[in-house]
Amino acid sequence: MSPPGAPHVLVVEDDPHLAAGVMENLRAEGYQVSAAADGAQALGWLGGHACELIVLDVMLPGMDGFSVCRALREQGNTTPVLFLTARGDPADRVRGLEAGGDDYLPKPFHLREFLLRVRAILRRWDWYRSASATVATAVLRFGGNEVDFRAFRARSWNGEAQELTEKEAMILKVLAEHAGEIVSREDLLERVWGYDVFPSTRTVDNFILRLRKRFEQDPANPRHFLTVWGVGYRFLGEGEP
Amino acid sequence: MKATRVFQLTALALVVVAAVQVGWWLYDQHAYTVEKVLAARGAYREQTAAAQALLDAGVSPQRIAQLLPAIVVRDGRAALAAQIEQTLTSEERHRYNQYAWEGSFFLLALALCIAVIARALRAETRVREEQESFLALVSHQFKTPLASLQLSLETLALRAPPPQTARTLIERMLADLARMELMVTQILESARLERGRVELRPEAVPLAAAVARVLAPLEERARQERIVLSCDIAAALCVQSDPLALDMVLRNVLENALAAVQAAGGGRVEVQARAANGEVQLSVRDTGVGFAPADGARLFTRFTRLHGSGGGHYGTGLGLFIVRRMMELAHGRVSAHSDGVGQGARVELTWPEAPAAPAALQGSTT
Repeated sequence: MSPPGAPHVLVVEDDPHLAAGVMENLRAEGYQVSAAADGAQALGWLGGHACELIVLDVMLPGMDGFSVCRALREQGNTTPVLFLTARGDPADRVRGLEAGGDDYLPKPFHLREFLLRVRAILRRWDWYRSASATVATAVLRFGGNEVDFRAFRARSWNGEAQELTEKEAMILKVLAEHAGEIVSREDLLERVWGYDVFPSTRTVDNFILRLRKRFEQDPANPRHFLTVWGVGYRFLGEGEP
Repeated sequence: MKATRVFQLTALALVVVAAVQVGWWLYDQHAYTVEKVLAARGAYREQTAAAQALLDAGVSPQRIAQLLPAIVVRDGRAALAAQIEQTLTSEERHRYNQYAWEGSFFLLALALCIAVIARALRAETRVREEQESFLALVSHQFKTPLASLQLSLETLALRAPPPQTARTLIERMLADLARMELMVTQILESARLERGRVELRPEAVPLAAAVARVLAPLEERARQERIVLSCDIAAALCVQSDPLALDMVLRNVLENALAAVQAAGGGRVEVQARAANGEVQLSVRDTGVGFAPADGARLFTRFTRLHGSGGGHYGTGLGLFIVRRMMELAHGRVSAHSDGVGQGARVELTWPEAPAAPAALQGSTT
């Protein structure tokens, strides 16, 4: 029996044995668990319920896991997704993350590693939610921009409305929490993605470029998202003088 | 493999170059003939003009005939002899015909070579793509039961569960192993069938007994999954088939039916047989998940796994392919029918009828 308030995990897996094994272990760790055998069932369940994490198989009958994740993101559902898949090559891994996944675990996997990743994703989201819980921390204003961390929406300095991805919002949150300090690329990777997900820190650079395009008046000469060569980035709320 | 492909591509390039050379030879020979005939006609025109000049100068026609034998004089006018003109025309036509026939033959032969090599290259590409897709599919299909197996083992190691839970985990592991074993068996059977390394020894086999042998180990699973099995086959009914091939075909079809009903949460599988027109038709009807009517034929091609077709989702996509090949080798037929997803399915197998063997008397119905 899961304790009240325990995180709820939806397991979307068509193999009954694997689904049962994953669910039993998640329950043993104290999570509340629900199951769906295919993408349509999962989307149907998520239409009426909320959960803290979706463990999503990629090769599902009918709609594959990537399409399920994309459909969720298009509906504005930001629930973190951990992909489980038999296809473990880097191209598929990147595809999964581009589809809006948070982590990617190739089959067969080690139970301890699976549980560790589940905990890591929930911890990251727990941090993000608690860090955006109050009115003061839910909204960030800088250089004429306004970011609503809870709604994943923003209005940039020129009045343009912006829809943020959860990764962009998380990076911004980490940088804003350490405004004026240098944050290394590795720290950003660890805080936003967890370990071992992307092969290089170049991904962080790409996300910073996207943030500059959204919020800097002159992205080529940034005033808020500053590069500290060879180390990482520094965020200045007031802008560089 | 790579060396063969390089060889094939080189051969193709050489044949294409040869075809271009033959084309050039044809053009060159045609141009040469045209040039030579024109030169000959030009020379004869000069001779005719010279003869006319001699005639005009008062030389006798006899003298002209001695000096220029190709020229004839008629009514005081010099002209080329008719047979020379005919010879020129006939020689020109002969050469054109020769080039046309020889050139066409060589071009046709080379075009055939190009077609054969291109076809071989295409076939090889298709086989390679099929192998790659097969490997990807097989590795994926293996990884799922493997992941389940590893998860069950690690759960046992990590949690030290009570005996009842441990028993469930062990049963799950055994089922995963059985799935993997079935996949390996199907892959090997399919490979043997593809290479034609299957030698069937047809004999009269009592069908009821063969079906009962396959159904017996499935009965426990059927009970657990709330599947009612029924079988109505006359004990004396015999089919002409290799007993092992028959067993393999029945096993694949009946396991598929059970998986389809299991995926639907329980139901019925009915097996019936009847003899007509020297053939025996076995019908396996289930109330399982069914399939779209248009997919009936596609089910028997390699690597086809229909979504929603129950256990097929776990398979290699080879089971029904094996059934079709085995039935073809046994001079039989197989077809699958369904009114749609969720409507159940019917598989019909037809073999040549065999006279009842003495063993048939021991056959039974379930």
